Amino acid sequence: MSITRDSAPAWLRGLPDALGYPLTSDGRLVTAGVVTVLAYSVLVLSTFPQFTIQLLTRNPADLLYGIAALTRETYLSVGWLGLFLVVTYALLTGIATTHAITLFRRARRTSASTMLGVVPGFLAAGCASCGAGVLGALGFVGAMAALPFEGNLLRLGGILLLLFFLGRTGNPQTCSIA
Amino acid sequence: MDSKSKITRRRAIAAGGATVLFGGGVAYLASGSESDEPEYVPETFHTSEETTGFGVELAGRPLVGDPDATVDVYYWTDYLCPFCKKFETETLPKIGSNYIDTGDVRLVVLPYPNIGEYSMPSAVWSRCVWRTVARTNPEAFWRWHEAAFDAQSESGHDWADEATFREITERTDGVSVSAVDSCRKSRGDAIRDAIETNVGVAQSVEIRGTPGFVLYNRDADAAGKLVGAHPYDTFSNALDRVLEA
Repeated sequence: MSITRDSAPAWLRGLPDALGYPLTSDGRLVTAGVVTVLAYSVLVLSTFPQFTIQLLTRNPADLLYGIAALTRETYLSVGWLGLFLVVTYALLTGIATTHAITLFRRARRTSASTMLGVVPGFLAAGCASCGAGVLGALGFVGAMAALPFEGNLLRLGGILLLLFFLGRTGNPQTCSIA
Repeated sequence: MDSKSKITRRRAIAAGGATVLFGGGVAYLASGSESDEPEYVPETFHTSEETTGFGVELAGRPLVGDPDATVDVYYWTDYLCPFCKKFETETLPKIGSNYIDTGDVRLVVLPYPNIGEYSMPSAVWSRCVWRTVARTNPEAFWRWHEAAFDAQSESGHDWADEATFREITERTDGVSVSAVDSCRKSRGDAIRDAIETNVGVAQSVEIRGTPGFVLYNRDADAAGKLVGAHPYDTFSNALDRVLEA
């Protein structure tokens, strides 16, 4: 049984427009790219916050060493699937940021309601995805190892949440009619 | 406004190319080759029944280097920890040559089981191997220790089990599997309790992951802390500062 575009849930119908939105201007594309790299760096560095803080406070020039070392560590700990999920989350964060900027500008011109609609999803997805870093920062040694699939389920949850809220927004330059 | 009309082929190609480059870069970093540093075997080992000024119990722990070294490095590790392997292969050989074998630093190997289910059993294996060879053939412990890190697979922790550690023990010259088994049976609980005691020391200084290090100047009673597989220069600077404390 196939799902046609019309029979699919509304958030799924809006997903292609949402994911393609950064392609609608050079500025948005560059923003999405820069935010993707930043998000990946933060996600990877947050897998071992104590190490990252020590490394960067002692010598900020070791940033690339930290990203490279923790990328390898992430792969060795959670495999290609885990690393793929981190990269996917970073890409979606880059896309979501272009949405957030557009919605923010629109909200300033109109009302705050649209902005309020996307912010909770953005935060929820972020918390779910970087749970590794949050748990590490709180001091739960081995917490990720104790989670189902060593945190990959948590990462997948974050990605699905982000996809849901992106799809719900669709193209942020258009208004949906309920 | 029809925004789709603004999606140009040029931007689509640029986005696709950048995504492939980004993913390729991450894959390159993830699959990075291991260090080609020569394997390090310490020149001296010893045993001690003391508790150090920092509160670390030394009885039954592998002690590497000169008993009278100025600085103790308490090294909390886990055989399932990839970051510990990075330290062992890339950084420890240089620390060994420049600080341990010169008599300035003594390395105390302490388990911190925190990665997977077999972390604690592997720590018990290690302590029992040390116990059986410490006085007669301590280099055999080091060969076992290195072989255990070498056994880490490319990904995940499934490699670590009874069969793997038994096989490592069997093929390490100078280590008797039956003696190690006997130790695991008769002293397993006591060893686990002792491991917890020294993990408590690590937690008291807020070491929340492995590898974790406390650099302790025994004469000056001054200490520093490092967490993670830092570059050698960071260790070198920290050791120099603690040595001068």
